[in-house]
Amino acid sequence: MFDLLSQPVGLTHYLIVGAVMFVAGAVCMATKRNALGVLMGIELVLNGANLNFVAFGSNFLERNPAYQLGLDGQIISLFVIVLAAAEAAVALAIVLNFYNNHSTVDVDRADELKG
Amino acid sequence: MESILSNLLLLAWLLPLASFCVILFFGPRLGTAGRGAAFVATGAIVSGFALSLTALILWVGAHGISGAHHADSADTHAADKALSPDSQVAVDPAAATVHLVAADHGDAHSDSHGGDHGHGRVGPKVAYFGDWYTLVDFDRLKITIGYYIDALTILMFTMVTLIASCIHFYAMGYMHDELHDVTDHEVTLSNGEHLKRPGRYCRFFQYLSLFCFSMLGIVIAGNIAMTFVFWELVGICSYFLIGFYIERKSASTAANKAFIVNRVGDFGMIIGLMALWGSLGTFSFGGEKNAAGDIVKSGMFTQARAEADHYALKTPEAMVESARQMGAEDPEHTGHVLLIVAGLGIFCGCVGKSAQFPLHVWLPDAMEGPTPVSALVHSATMVAAGVFLVGRFYPMFTPEVLLTIAIIGCITLFMAATIAITATDIKRVLAYSTLSQLGYMMFALGVGGWVAGMLHLITHAFFKSLLFMCSGSVIHAVHTNEMTQMGGLRRKMPITAYTMLVGCLAIIGAGVPTLVGLSGYYSKDAILAQALHFGKNNAAWDVMFYVAAAGAAITAFYMFRLWFMTFIGQPRDPSRYDHAHESPRVMWMPLVVLAFFAIFVATPADIENFTDPTASPMVQLLEQARPDGTGIDFSGQLAAVMMPAEHGSHDEEIHWAAGMIAFGTAMFGLLLACCLYWWRILDPEEVRSMFAPIHRFLRNKWWFDELYDAIFIRPTLFCGRCIAQFDRGAIDWLIDHLAIWMRSFTTGFDRWIDHLFVDGLINWVAQRTYALGIWLRKPQTGRLRQYVVFIVVGTMAMYLLATFGLTN
Amino acid sequence: MGNRNGGRWMGEINGHTVLFLFFGILTCLFSLAVVFSANVVRMAFYLILALAATSGLHFLAGADFVGTMQLVLYVGGTLVLLVFGVMLTAQNPFISLRTAGGDWIVAALVGGILLVILVPVAFQIGLPPQDAGDIEGLTQREAVASSEPVSVPTATRIGLGLLGVPGDDVSGYLLPFEIISIHLLVVLVGAAYLARAKRKVVVRQESQNIAGS
Repeated sequence: MFDLLSQPVGLTHYLIVGAVMFVAGAVCMATKRNALGVLMGIELVLNGANLNFVAFGSNFLERNPAYQLGLDGQIISLFVIVLAAAEAAVALAIVLNFYNNHSTVDVDRADELKG
Repeated sequence: MESILSNLLLLAWLLPLASFCVILFFGPRLGTAGRGAAFVATGAIVSGFALSLTALILWVGAHGISGAHHADSADTHAADKALSPDSQVAVDPAAATVHLVAADHGDAHSDSHGGDHGHGRVGPKVAYFGDWYTLVDFDRLKITIGYYIDALTILMFTMVTLIASCIHFYAMGYMHDELHDVTDHEVTLSNGEHLKRPGRYCRFFQYLSLFCFSMLGIVIAGNIAMTFVFWELVGICSYFLIGFYIERKSASTAANKAFIVNRVGDFGMIIGLMALWGSLGTFSFGGEKNAAGDIVKSGMFTQARAEADHYALKTPEAMVESARQMGAEDPEHTGHVLLIVAGLGIFCGCVGKSAQFPLHVWLPDAMEGPTPVSALVHSATMVAAGVFLVGRFYPMFTPEVLLTIAIIGCITLFMAATIAITATDIKRVLAYSTLSQLGYMMFALGVGGWVAGMLHLITHAFFKSLLFMCSGSVIHAVHTNEMTQMGGLRRKMPITAYTMLVGCLAIIGAGVPTLVGLSGYYSKDAILAQALHFGKNNAAWDVMFYVAAAGAAITAFYMFRLWFMTFIGQPRDPSRYDHAHESPRVMWMPLVVLAFFAIFVATPADIENFTDPTASPMVQLLEQARPDGTGIDFSGQLAAVMMPAEHGSHDEEIHWAAGMIAFGTAMFGLLLACCLYWWRILDPEEVRSMFAPIHRFLRNKWWFDELYDAIFIRPTLFCGRCIAQFDRGAIDWLIDHLAIWMRSFTTGFDRWIDHLFVDGLINWVAQRTYALGIWLRKPQTGRLRQYVVFIVVGTMAMYLLATFGLTN
Repeated sequence: MGNRNGGRWMGEINGHTVLFLFFGILTCLFSLAVVFSANVVRMAFYLILALAATSGLHFLAGADFVGTMQLVLYVGGTLVLLVFGVMLTAQNPFISLRTAGGDWIVAALVGGILLVILVPVAFQIGLPPQDAGDIEGLTQREAVASSEPVSVPTATRIGLGLLGVPGDDVSGYLLPFEIISIHLLVVLVGAAYLARAKRKVVVRQESQNIAGS
């Protein structure tokens, strides 16, 4: 435990946190029936990926120098943040429209386009 | 000199072509109703005549009229040969004897004739040859537009352009009906009306120009291939002009007949060309020159009559060589046969073009064309092309070929003359007369009388075109061709009558024996003298002389029969007689011009030697053009025939006899005609009924048309019908049924294939696609959360694949 | 290295590591809380916390600008939007929709497998190489990474990078930047269009009301 505390933070740490967030987001998307819940899952997934980008671009972490993105990683994560905002706006509009039309936010009821 | 002459003649030759092109493209726009076309064409041909005349004057200025300055050297040459017979060892024995005989004759001749005017000349004749333009030049085959200019070329040029000029003027008057719409009374349409059509004034002159161009092309041609091209052009022009009144059935069939019969002759000519080129490797008469003007390949004439052999005819080395290559046992003999084949082939073409005995049937029918056409095409020039070619090609003809030519000519002259007796169509009489005279020319050439034949060619051109134009004038006046509806026209149209009388006298060879006569007198006497000479040397063939003499009598008879029936006595058809009138000046002026030439063209110019026919400038000029080596006796190898040298016929004895016989026969014919048709001592009807079978035989032209109909046309049609029947009955049936079977079979097969494979494949694909769609439909639940799971699973699958699947 | 080997128990406690562990555990916990919470309102709250903790991780990784943006845009913008959505639709039946057990099992299975895949990968590529002595073969960017970290504010360099000026460890991103901006504009217009009220229906209802009265 102390070992855990004393050793320097490495890329692996970040990747593990990112993986946990990613998996949590994916499971969230897969289980929530509420459309907003699905959206939250998406945000989690995006953040998990974002964290990885930042970690790959960071100079402060113990890591294999071959995997080095530099500031590109941060710029890409900025793009992801912006896109996530845009996605959220559109998705929310869709959800509200769906809610207006069907008076529900249950994604299981939105199966009219099934094959 | 050469370049001036060749350029003058080139210009004279090409002017009618230019006129043809102008009229072709701008004809109807030249003047009102195309009247200007006539001026264009006439201007072109008159300019051509002026140029030709200039060339003639230049020629005479350069080479003189007589060939006398060659005479001495010729005789010494002959004497040399006689003295050194060793030089002929290389030649075959026959040729050697020929030279000996020639030498004897030459000596005898110079003794008897103190003032020998170039006869017996054996030295090289003056001839310019070269190429204007090379069409193709493969290594062996070189086809060029070239020229071969000697005295004959220039004389022919002058003659053709002069007569053509006269005919052009004449046609301006004769064809004026064509200036406006024409109603053709000889064509009845299905509704009973006569055909109305636009005039064809322009077209007529256009064809005339093209014809003149073609004819001059034959005359100036420097190689036999070029001759052949213009030969065919003349044929097609003749086709156009005979079929000028194309709506008339008779005219169109006559045009077809002329064209097809000529093809028969041309077939032989092509064989001759193949034999020549295949063995000699050149078409050129004189030789092929390079840019510097040196002869790089000797021409046909020089190959056949080499200077080294003293111009004696000898089978060319090239022919012997090709015979050897063919594997002949006796190459010399086979090569000689090859030469004979070539000569016969060329003569075959001449037979077609000059309407000689087996192929003569087209010429009388060709009178369907307008009369100027008859005058130009079928009397003076086109049919003369055949005779001209025989004359031009004379150096290549072996005695065997010449004998054939003589026989053919003899048959023709007699047969045509007899048919002319009974013909009543004025133009047909003249047509058969033409045939007969062409026969005389061929006969003369065939018996060795080169100058005689050529002289007759020129004199005949003048008086025959004169006769034709006179007949045209008569037809123009009375609107019929039938002499039975004419009579007494002398009072209505005196100029026509007396110019025609001049023509008739010229053609029968009228003159005072041994003194003076019309142009025909000189040429016909020369022919008969040579024939007599030939007969004396070849006893087996002396019958030909008597046939020719009989032909002369018949000529006199039918010519004056024609003249008397037309111009003398009481009118047989008063309405036509009342209608008749003298032709306009543009038509009778050419008659007068031609009549002048018909009288004087062969007259000796030398006053001191006025009675000597060989003193005529025309004869002297022709003597200059005589092919090298043909002025001596020579014998055939295969046939027992000896061609006597022509100057032998001027021997006093022979000439006197021939002249007397010619005069006697002509007078006999003339008197007979007078008795029958002028003085009416004998009734033609009685004579006719007396000789009814002969009359019928002649009236039907010796049954030639019927004979050809029976042996060629009917079998051909029969074969055609049989083949057509076979076609319809067997081949069509087979093909029809094969098609039906094939169709039903393919229909079934096609349907089977379609159902089983094409449709089956398509249906199978469609069913599979549908099934796949149905199957793929199942994952499409429309449940968002499921899709997320799929995405994740897919990601994992891809990762696993990338890690374990692909890296390994 | 000796230090690390020898002091397993008495190793100095690394402040950086402690902070990382704090934020990392916080992030993981709240993420899982989002997953396992059934109430949508609570989910939104946990999400806010999770993302805020993530921004802390960003700071710890030296990405000060990204961390700031995470807070400002995500926590302050996007999630507020989500919360609005929650509030607009938060009617009783939808606050806590129950999920069938089968779905849970499937999701857990898939998620577990995914985790099992990801974690080893993290260890595999995240650890420094055992023989990290060969520095000559490194590229410039790798050399920067292997040198001693210096805390330099990143905002200026990121801004230059976005304007297309390449730096030591950044490429030019002018074109993606422009595309993103256009994209954002289009999204805003689209969102406004999608989310607007349906005027026609309103008009008809009004006319019906007028006719009824």
